[in-house]
Amino acid sequence: VKYSSVLIDHFLNPRNAGLMRDPDAVGQGEYEGCGDLARFFLRVREGQVGEVRFQAYGCGPTIAAASVASELMGGRAVGDLLHVKPDEIEHALDGLPEERRHAAEVVAQALRAAAQDWHQKEDHRV
Amino acid sequence: MSRRVYLDHNASTPVHPEVVAEMLPYWTERFGNPSSVHGFGREARDAVDTARARIAGFLRAAPEEIVFTSGGTESDNLAVKGLALGGARGHLITSQIEHHAVLRTCQALEAGGLAVTYLPVDQHGLVDPDDVKRAIRPDTVAISVMHANSEIGTVQPVAAIGAIAREHGIPFHVDAVQSFGKIAVDPAALGIDVLSMSSHKIYGPKGIGALYIRRGTRMVAIQHGGDHERRRRAGTENVPGIVGFGKAVELRDREMRPEAERLQALRDRLADGVRARLDDVRLVGHSVERLPATANLAFRQVESESIVLGLDLKGVAVSAGSACTAGHVEPSHVLAAVGLPVDWAMGAVRCSLGRSTTAEDVDYVIECLETVVGKLRRLLPTGSL
Repeated sequence: VKYSSVLIDHFLNPRNAGLMRDPDAVGQGEYEGCGDLARFFLRVREGQVGEVRFQAYGCGPTIAAASVASELMGGRAVGDLLHVKPDEIEHALDGLPEERRHAAEVVAQALRAAAQDWHQKEDHRV
Repeated sequence: MSRRVYLDHNASTPVHPEVVAEMLPYWTERFGNPSSVHGFGREARDAVDTARARIAGFLRAAPEEIVFTSGGTESDNLAVKGLALGGARGHLITSQIEHHAVLRTCQALEAGGLAVTYLPVDQHGLVDPDDVKRAIRPDTVAISVMHANSEIGTVQPVAAIGAIAREHGIPFHVDAVQSFGKIAVDPAALGIDVLSMSSHKIYGPKGIGALYIRRGTRMVAIQHGGDHERRRRAGTENVPGIVGFGKAVELRDREMRPEAERLQALRDRLADGVRARLDDVRLVGHSVERLPATANLAFRQVESESIVLGLDLKGVAVSAGSACTAGHVEPSHVLAAVGLPVDWAMGAVRCSLGRSTTAEDVDYVIECLETVVGKLRRLLPTGSL
């Protein structure tokens, strides 16, 4: 299996890893096939993603995908996160081997779940 | 990356320089076909005979009891299918932790009508000889139990199983691919009728292996053609490979015992060192009945592939106990059979040491494992959502 240098860099030096105290939104994605798991915590300011933190269990690509996504999502409208696609994450990693594409899927799923969580909380606030 | 440490000797080993030197002339000047009657053929035949005698001597067997094959997988196929005499009827006994070369051969025979009993193992990976005895049926055509397991290193009680096989007059095959040349194997003393061997696990070339077939053992050939290998295995002999295999065995005869002692100490240094520095680490396999250079370490709640990648990026080569194929990961059949809980089995990493391994290498790997596993554990999701 060959990985891109971007993927290796994010695996070795994960950005924004760890818990967040009192996050505005939390979302989790899990890939049943292998048990890989990503969890995202968002701090939201005026509908935009401020801080992003993540935790992950899984193969190297899953950790790297979570890391690269945590950088990608900063500053975006939370509504956009509802439509995050694995392709965007895969592209940011400079590609994924076919048998590791689930890494981008599990991360995209977690981000969408976090966005949904925020919207649900928003609905309650309104 | 400065340092490179190879701890995957159960997968393959570098060819010993003396082996390479011995093989070289057989690619070019001494290229003859051993079946040819002329001088070129005779020198190739002599080389094959010499290698055969070396391997036979190492096993305390007769040269005519050695049959060359293309490697461990072919040896296992020939042994199991050959003993099942074609495999349309009868019953075969094997274990759940065999190499796929045996397991999938059994499954293929099963599809053709042969009945197969897959014996369980205990938590250390040991087959109970009493289970073998109980599984024997009037139509049992063969028993096939491996000597040492490649993943966890557990060494089976083959002498006890061999005695049972003898008592019942059932041929006994032992897949010794992972033990041959690493620990003593004496087929006659262990009651073994057929034994599989491979060259590239013991510093010989790839693409060559052998079967010991005790004189008088009834077997059919599975590859047909010329009269090579006493009609046990047709096909022009891989002369350079055979020469290399023979030399590798000669070297093992000299180096095996002192090396086993040295590697066992290093293996224990590795396992003890890792356990002293990290929590939730388990040594998988039997604590005593184990190959001297194999340590299967399971790290709870860490994914083994990310450990392998993390180590690889530090120049360390080990192998994972769970393989990811198309996004699907399952612990290996061996880890499942020893009943290792999934949260441990997913983090199992096999370290297999070899002749080049030093104490400094081991200390470096301990350090790397502490860093890599520690880092991966810090990323883990805490609690539940």
